[in-house]
Amino acid sequence: MKEKFARFVLLTSKVNRQHIQLAMAILALAVLVLGIGAPGDAGIGPR
Amino acid sequence: MILLLAVLTGFLVGLGRAHWQNQAYTVPGFQSVWLIVVAFLPQLFMAYWPVTRHLFPDRLASAILLASLTLFLAFAWLNRRLPGMPILIVGLLLNFTVIAANGGWMPINPQTADFLTGKDVLQVMNLGDRFGEKDILLSAQNTYFEFLADRFLLPAWLSYRTAFSLGDVLIGLGAFWLLAKPIHKTNTMNTKGISA
Repeated sequence: MKEKFARFVLLTSKVNRQHIQLAMAILALAVLVLGIGAPGDAGIGPR
Repeated sequence: MILLLAVLTGFLVGLGRAHWQNQAYTVPGFQSVWLIVVAFLPQLFMAYWPVTRHLFPDRLASAILLASLTLFLAFAWLNRRLPGMPILIVGLLLNFTVIAANGGWMPINPQTADFLTGKDVLQVMNLGDRFGEKDILLSAQNTYFEFLADRFLLPAWLSYRTAFSLGDVLIGLGAFWLLAKPIHKTNTMNTKGISA
């Protein structure tokens, strides 16, 4: 259990502010293209 | 889905280029990100979320889509100096034009819809009905700016079927370029930091 916790702490310590900024920028761009794009997908079908 | 693929590909290419050149990967420094949230939330409820999208009358939903696109345009204009954003803005304007000219929906003709669904859509739908998230079923003859509508298809040998517009192509290219070749020097990140 202690070892698992130590590994978790090590993993989270590597996620710094810049990683979060990168993730936020990509998420923002993904939402942007979803919002302004209008492709029709086969999986959607008639409403 | 196809546009998200452009985002993912742009990110991977940008990351690969930075790693190959032994440079730091840079994140696009967006301004006024809150505009994206405000613009997308109405679309989420009226187009993407299956639970709520049928609750919106078509006229209200089309008005929401146009208002949402206007907010997205404001965001894109505020960030117009970012690489790739001018291409994305042109794509947005093309989509906005064809959507506004056709009652607030992206037109798709029955033949293209047939290809997507694999069946004759006119047997279960009428011309003028909503199709999918933001599309409307319209014959090519009754479509304004038909060359800007969802009329392009992926090669038939691909199992994934989607129809897209010229505006979608430019939006995808702009998004790809934004992540593949960023220029801002702020918010830099070493690629080794990401892979670690």
